[in-house]
Amino acid sequence: MINGADVFTITIRKRAWWFWALAGLWLLLEILLLQTAVASAQEREYRAATISWMLVGLLATLGCFAWLRRRGPHKHSNLSEQHREATTSEPTSISTAN
Amino acid sequence: MEEERRQTGRRTLLKAGGLVVASGAIGSIWAFVTGVSTKGNARKRAMWIRIVDRPTLSEKTSDYKRFSGNDMFALYRPLKTQRDGAGSFEAEQASKAERVAAWISERKPGYSLPDVQLSEGAWTVMHSTKPGVGLLSWTRISVRTPAELGTPRYTAPPEEMASTVKAAARLYGAGLVGIAPMNEAYVNLQALRESENEKDKDIVFGDVDVPSVSDTKFVIPKKMKWVIAIAIPMDLDLLSSAPTALGDAASALGYSHSAFVVSSLAEFIRGLGYEAIPCVNDTAQSVPFAVDAGIGELGRLNKLVTPEFGPAVRLCKVFTDLPMACDKPVDFGLVKFCRNCKKCAEACPSRALSFDDEPNFKTRGPWNNPGHKAWFEDSYKCLQYWQKSNSACGICLVSCPYTKGNEAWVHEGVKATASIAPAADPVFRIMDNAFGYGKQHDPEQWWMNKSQSGRRG
Repeated sequence: MINGADVFTITIRKRAWWFWALAGLWLLLEILLLQTAVASAQEREYRAATISWMLVGLLATLGCFAWLRRRGPHKHSNLSEQHREATTSEPTSISTAN
Repeated sequence: MEEERRQTGRRTLLKAGGLVVASGAIGSIWAFVTGVSTKGNARKRAMWIRIVDRPTLSEKTSDYKRFSGNDMFALYRPLKTQRDGAGSFEAEQASKAERVAAWISERKPGYSLPDVQLSEGAWTVMHSTKPGVGLLSWTRISVRTPAELGTPRYTAPPEEMASTVKAAARLYGAGLVGIAPMNEAYVNLQALRESENEKDKDIVFGDVDVPSVSDTKFVIPKKMKWVIAIAIPMDLDLLSSAPTALGDAASALGYSHSAFVVSSLAEFIRGLGYEAIPCVNDTAQSVPFAVDAGIGELGRLNKLVTPEFGPAVRLCKVFTDLPMACDKPVDFGLVKFCRNCKKCAEACPSRALSFDDEPNFKTRGPWNNPGHKAWFEDSYKCLQYWQKSNSACGICLVSCPYTKGNEAWVHEGVKATASIAPAADPVFRIMDNAFGYGKQHDPEQWWMNKSQSGRRG
């Protein structure tokens, strides 16, 4: 976030613990589905392989969507509101002068 | 500043601790599911395969006796004649031969000449022997005995003996091995006749030192108190082309592997200074010995279902006087799963398998041994379909949800969950269908796939 020409404000937004737990679960599921897709094709179980690939794609899309959404501005977050107020008046959070 | 550094250190420590705990949890789940042990890279059976004192379908009545030994192959001809009139069997065989010739000429997928001859080639080892003769000899073939080597016979504690024998069996090609105590009730009364003109040969237990085979009887020494039960996994890709002549090659190969494994193991045991009788389907019922030895459970197909390979195995066994520690039966939730599933019964084209919810004592014909609880099958209907399809079918073996290749990890997880949470069984049955498992594989693609594969098996 840039406030003026010579002041930068870096906002470090911490993700909640449950987000990382969900991300771990997502990664495990992706690995499992990917392995199932590849292995099913090797076993000549083509329908199982196709469904697994579709699930890999679906889960990857959902994961990306969730990740990108969390990176955007927190419109309903109190922390965000406080931060916006702080940065519009006088930067009191982590700031670096050029 | 100092406070902040201390907090950062504590946070790092907590994160590292969390990572270790999470890794440990994942590792434990993995070990539970797959049975991979950290000790010496050994691979034990998965922990969800519970060891129990009695088999899951162990109820027997006083009707349970030694079986005549006449299996469906011996019974089919008289039964067919009795049901459909004189000459019906011969007429059926003649039309079958004509059909086979036509299908070979037409190059019908799964019945081309290479398909048919692949199966014939796979039978070679099994067809070169018979009970008591050749590879399946009841006495030494060529191994040098400890006496000939000038050494006493090999002795070790029973547990160590069992491990030694199992290692040898696995080397020779066994997929699963277990040790069961000898149970005379599982041994056939008579040997299966090779032809109709042959005389019945009794199988008897005697107070003798060595087993013997004569024109009138087979004698098993009473001192043979141990049975090594073995399951040979069938080639699943090949079996999945059933019901075709190509699919038959999986059974044929299973039998030939069985003959090789039991004969090699019998020679190994004789080489240690003990007696051994190698058997494939002959001499005794393989399934109850395999159940007692903890290789698997009796399923809806009225066949042995193993946790690792499902019912897609061929069973064989070796009787011996080599003292070994016996294994116990297992329970991996199969009977509960079979109650719900019924996929094999639905897939069976001849409707030979039972749709009963519960296993019971009602036999379906003289091919069933009465006096024990099971889902009994109509083998007559089954064999009639064999005649129609010019194959040994095998659809029930492939359709079982426990019959899965060993490539995808997810199957282990599903089997483990079914074992500990039977409430999930109906979901797994639906998923098995939805993912298309148990469907016939294209026989023509098998040749292409196999010729390009550089992998074992």
